Amino acid sequence: MQLSFDRVTKFYGPVIGVNDVSCRIGPGITGLLGANGAGKSTLIKLASGQLRPSLGEVRIGPHRAWSSAAKRAFGYSPDINSFYEEMTGREFVYAMTRLYGYSRREARERTELAIAEVGMTPRADRRLAGCSHGMRQRIKLAQALVHDPPILLLDEPLSGIDPGGRREINELLARQAEQGKSILVSSHILLEIEQLADTVVMISRGRILASGTLAEIRELLDEKPLTVEIAADSPRRLAALLALAPEVQSIELRDSALVVRTIAPTRFFAALGELVVQNGFEVRRLQTLDAGADAVFGYLEGSA
Amino acid sequence: MRLWRAWLTLVWLSFRRLLWSANTLMILFPLSGGALFLLRRRYDRMEDVEAAFNMFSNFLIFIFASFMIPICALAYGTASVGGDREDQTLLFLLVRPIARPLILLAKFVATLPLAVGLVAATFFLYCRLAGEPGALAYQLFLPTILCMTLAYVGLFHLFAVAWRHATIIAMVYAIFMELLLGNLPGIIKRIAVNYYGRSLMYAAGASEGLSRPEWFEPISSSAATWALAGIAGGSLLLAMLVFERREYRDLT
Repeated sequence: MQLSFDRVTKFYGPVIGVNDVSCRIGPGITGLLGANGAGKSTLIKLASGQLRPSLGEVRIGPHRAWSSAAKRAFGYSPDINSFYEEMTGREFVYAMTRLYGYSRREARERTELAIAEVGMTPRADRRLAGCSHGMRQRIKLAQALVHDPPILLLDEPLSGIDPGGRREINELLARQAEQGKSILVSSHILLEIEQLADTVVMISRGRILASGTLAEIRELLDEKPLTVEIAADSPRRLAALLALAPEVQSIELRDSALVVRTIAPTRFFAALGELVVQNGFEVRRLQTLDAGADAVFGYLEGSA
Repeated sequence: MRLWRAWLTLVWLSFRRLLWSANTLMILFPLSGGALFLLRRRYDRMEDVEAAFNMFSNFLIFIFASFMIPICALAYGTASVGGDREDQTLLFLLVRPIARPLILLAKFVATLPLAVGLVAATFFLYCRLAGEPGALAYQLFLPTILCMTLAYVGLFHLFAVAWRHATIIAMVYAIFMELLLGNLPGIIKRIAVNYYGRSLMYAAGASEGLSRPEWFEPISSSAATWALAGIAGGSLLLAMLVFERREYRDLT
């Protein structure tokens, strides 16, 4: 099942929350990446039917996201930290499960499965008021998973979770994605998304800047500066030759490897290939240092 | 079947949370104050039963119906949705596959046993404390008291879906609109719910010698009954409509 945004605009009075957004979220994990206030939460609220688009349409499969029919098809983990504090984690997840209309027996079974899935079984009888932030995040995830929805909308699900817990949650989401679920995860922490998501939607000031895999997005930015590390024999001689190339902006020798900053990556790699072949350099390692999400996002935001 | 089960779960969940809320304790203070007042006045020991009935009825009309019923109704009526809204837990309900008007209806239904039960129990207690005049008042006024409670609960649900800090607004409404405007001479008191309740109470008590103030001009009992039913049903329907269309941006 697919989540689709079709030319969606959302106004908050005179302020525009998201602006003419179109995208499809299919099976796999999609990271929704943007700074605070970029429009990530607005997009997730539109997808979960809490907000109505001012223009355009948001659909969960064949249903409009606002409709109650759509709500059976997704699980939602909000970024708020509020619960029925008087309940235990188990009671809360059970109550939320019953709100899908399951019988008591089925709701109990589903509750136990979901709680086990998020690794909360031994701690599920603790009152939510006394639970740590990480435990509360897991309970939020459990209530989103409990009806086995084809779409998961997770707003900052990793915030406040320790590194070990993050790994567990990443593995859990990967398992869900393997089952063919479409998972939209928002975060403002680029590293989180880079480790977790197959594809990324980058958003800034209510507009989608780019979408695709990080590598695909990086390719779109061919004319943006790139830093490349080259480990080769005779690094000083290679540096002297590279310095003559007009595509090279700077060269630094770092731990017997060259760190080259180029302003035209495609032409630089072509020139580097020629130099290596003509001069018989042996290149042991060639890697781009800033093709990660941070750098890509920085470039995109700068050009937006 | 599934929807029905989900809806009943929501009714039960809302009822349970309201029952064990701080509001239940808070509301017991003014209600206990009323009981202490009646214990001190000892209407049951007055020799002139008609005079005692008149005095007890005035207590019911000016204190119980005009102040305590609105306070009981708002304690649960605004909290049923307003509490979830202020705690942001409403979000967890809005993303479940229950149509929004049905969510509000579930909240209303969950509120009724508490608000109506508390008002009816308090009314029963007060009437017992008042002795013979109380027994008479119980027979005459109980339907009106219940109708007023329904009307207030419906109205305060409308407040809760329309405004974020509905409890404060409802308090201001209960004190200014109901208590002050409801006691002003002229047509302006018709905007107060208790005007219709009092019209019914004066009409019911007239046969037992209950006299009304000169400045109070009641409407007919049938018109007052329809008005209370209209306020209860109309407020609920309007609240369901508003709730269905409203975006709650304050939830995150």
